[in-house]
Amino acid sequence: MIDNGLLVQMLIGALLGVSVYLPLAAGQLSLATPAFYAVGGTLAALLSTSWPALGAGPDGSLPLASFLLVLLLGGLLAGSLALLVGRLVLRLQGIYLAIATIALVEIVRVAILNLPFTGGAIGIFGIPQPFPTAAGYLLPALGLLALAGWVCQRLEVMPLGRAMAAVRNDELAAGCMGIDTTRVKLTAFVLSAVLAGSTGALAAHFLNTWNARQGSFDTAVTMLAFVILGGARSWLGPVVGGLLLTALPELLRPVGDGRLVLFALVILLGPVLFPQGLMTPALLERLGRLGERADQGEPQP
Amino acid sequence: MIEALLQTLLNGAATGGVYALVALGYTLVFSVLGVINFALGALFSLGGYLTYLLMGGAISANGALPGWGLPLPLALPFPLALVLAALLTGLASLVVERVAFSPLRRRNAEPLLYLITSLGAGLALVNLLQMLMGAEGYAFPAGALAGLPAAVVVGGARIRSVQVLLLAVCAAAVLALTLWLEHSRSGRALRAVAEDATTARLLGINSDAMLRLAFLVSGGLAGLGGGLIGVSISLPGPYVGIGYGLKGLAVLVLGGLGSVPGAIAGGLLMGLAEALVPGEASGWRDALAFAILFAVLLLRPNGLLGRRLVEKV
Amino acid sequence: MTIPTTAPTPATSAPLLEVRDLTCRFGGLVALDRVSFAVQPGEIFGLIGPNGAGKTTLFNLIYGLTPSSGGAVLWRGATITGLPPFRRNRLGLARTFQNLRLFDGLSVLDNLLVALRRQPGESLLGGLLASASHRRAERQRLDRAGQLLEELGLAALAERPAGTLAYGDRRRLEIARALTTRPSLLLLDEPAAGMNPAEKDDLCGLIGQLRSRHQLTVMVIEHHVPLLMRLCDRMAVLDFGQRIALGTPEQVRHDPRVIEAYLGGAPP
Repeated sequence: MIDNGLLVQMLIGALLGVSVYLPLAAGQLSLATPAFYAVGGTLAALLSTSWPALGAGPDGSLPLASFLLVLLLGGLLAGSLALLVGRLVLRLQGIYLAIATIALVEIVRVAILNLPFTGGAIGIFGIPQPFPTAAGYLLPALGLLALAGWVCQRLEVMPLGRAMAAVRNDELAAGCMGIDTTRVKLTAFVLSAVLAGSTGALAAHFLNTWNARQGSFDTAVTMLAFVILGGARSWLGPVVGGLLLTALPELLRPVGDGRLVLFALVILLGPVLFPQGLMTPALLERLGRLGERADQGEPQP
Repeated sequence: MIEALLQTLLNGAATGGVYALVALGYTLVFSVLGVINFALGALFSLGGYLTYLLMGGAISANGALPGWGLPLPLALPFPLALVLAALLTGLASLVVERVAFSPLRRRNAEPLLYLITSLGAGLALVNLLQMLMGAEGYAFPAGALAGLPAAVVVGGARIRSVQVLLLAVCAAAVLALTLWLEHSRSGRALRAVAEDATTARLLGINSDAMLRLAFLVSGGLAGLGGGLIGVSISLPGPYVGIGYGLKGLAVLVLGGLGSVPGAIAGGLLMGLAEALVPGEASGWRDALAFAILFAVLLLRPNGLLGRRLVEKV
Repeated sequence: MTIPTTAPTPATSAPLLEVRDLTCRFGGLVALDRVSFAVQPGEIFGLIGPNGAGKTTLFNLIYGLTPSSGGAVLWRGATITGLPPFRRNRLGLARTFQNLRLFDGLSVLDNLLVALRRQPGESLLGGLLASASHRRAERQRLDRAGQLLEELGLAALAERPAGTLAYGDRRRLEIARALTTRPSLLLLDEPAAGMNPAEKDDLCGLIGQLRSRHQLTVMVIEHHVPLLMRLCDRMAVLDFGQRIALGTPEQVRHDPRVIEAYLGGAPP
């Protein structure tokens, strides 16, 4: 059933959902998250297995500080890549942008598969562990998710967040109102990449091995499904979508071989049955009001 | 030397032909509906497996019913099996339309949602195939291309005839498609709907029927591609179509969304470029298509032959 | 009704906006053909002409939304050709659109807040940490937005999604949004479209008031010529991409080329 290992995987799913959500919140359909996830994970795997300064022990352990450093570096590398590529890619519109980002995912995947130091098809294994059990990863994963959520929440009352919403609504009009739309889109893209990269670094340690298959096209669209099925109106949507859809294949194990078909059917029917996703604007409003009442100390209904 | 080069070019053109088929499949639906059918790759795989079964092939030990084959009075020769498989795949494509596209169209859903539902449909199909046929590779029955010499001699060089066959079939299919679109009543009606659905409807054209026709032909093209790859190489697994589907997508965008000549030119370009990658770097071959696409999009944001979308202010 | 005006500044002062031999070609079609005129600070400048004369294209060129094929646009004497629209806005231009381009998914208030960008003293990190400077800047933004909503009679609708507003309110919201950026020049593209005579009258009065209260220069495209006749200090008339007249409403009204362009219909 739902053990600690699955919980961590669910949190990773939620993190990747938020990563896909960020460019979408600025009106950009970017499917590049798996590429940055792969980059972050690969860097983490390489550093932890081959950089002595991190102090990986012979028993396969890793100091906590080194782990956190690697998380940061994974995010930074992914962010730098996004900065490089973003300016070029974000000139594209609509479906062209989506496909260009899919192309990026494939290029990164093949590069990781073929570069001499990234482990080839087998990948890198025996990645040192900062925690003895899966449960240890819960806190960092939750922490990362809380950080991401806090940033998303703050964005709503910041000029940058409003600019992102304006660009999403009408990019041309937003430009005419003095918004540097290229910069706004790029910022969302880079934030998304940093989150994906750090998540990749976390996942690489959690999974103990890492290979090129971690970032691929169908995972990109599955992550998009987290956002769409969870609800694209707020960052809570992809969190809910990510948690549920990551848990689903595991929960369906008793069904046997047909579970992947069932999972695919959920993705197929989701948009039909829940056009606004699970976190609908109406629901978000109710949650908002509940929060306000809690602040004011009124009794809950 | 010349022989090797000719063979390479031929291989590239043949593969490019298959990419073009897939790209054309996307183009047909995109031109009418304005969205990409992400289930096309799965239909490609389906076509491959159907061709195999129709030729008397049996399910392998890993599948649901090991050793089982279609209860055919006799195994069909390859050409017949291929055509029939393509037709059946076209029908499957209609099912995909009914299940993944119709419900959204009725609610005027935004294009993004079709991406999800069509991927869901595609994944469901691929996993169904995996359940049924198993995840192992399938080689087509020996003697599948009986009667075809192993190699032909062109200009003094011997080249594998199966590649010639591949190229010939792709070329024939593309030609048939173009003729149909240009000169037949239904083809022109389809193009009318693609151009301007409202006017077409006012002229009495049933745009829903045209959409279904687009899905039918599109599925048929993908299925054809799957059967061709199956017989010329093999079917490494149900996910083979996903790879070709992605490449086809790259070709689609490279040539310019909605452009038929663009899809053909793009396909050939991709196929030849990939074939010219030297053997030592063959692992990078898969990235080449996407690197080319990336580069082209940066220079021409609407593809090689795509139309610029001018926003009205 | 009398329209409150500031005294028009003499034509010898430096123009705020100038177009010189501005040309725009789309393939073989010439949308604008060497159009020249200057707009003086503080005046209300009208732009009229039959359908397809090139009026909106001219706005698009002035604002940098469409590239020009020749000629120049000058702002306070300096060329701004090549600057993207957002830079032109930051220099002091603002516009509304013929077909209304509001941020429908955002509230009325947010439509205005969007145009109030990050202040020089504000940082991203400050925003994330809800620092004092961020909170101060937010208060200032809310104050300014609130003022404009009051002024344009939209205060009661502040929380409503812009997409749900009545047509007249949407038009006023677009004007409010354009004013948020404290422009020197306001370009209004058919602001009276779809309005009845009483509403057009109110709009006339509003534009005049806004001109004096916000020290604006205004350029207006309108189909309803009598409205512009009452409102404008000067006008330019376009036909088939060419400027066929320039002057005060009285001068333009009696220009034979203008009368002919309107096909001998009732003189404007």
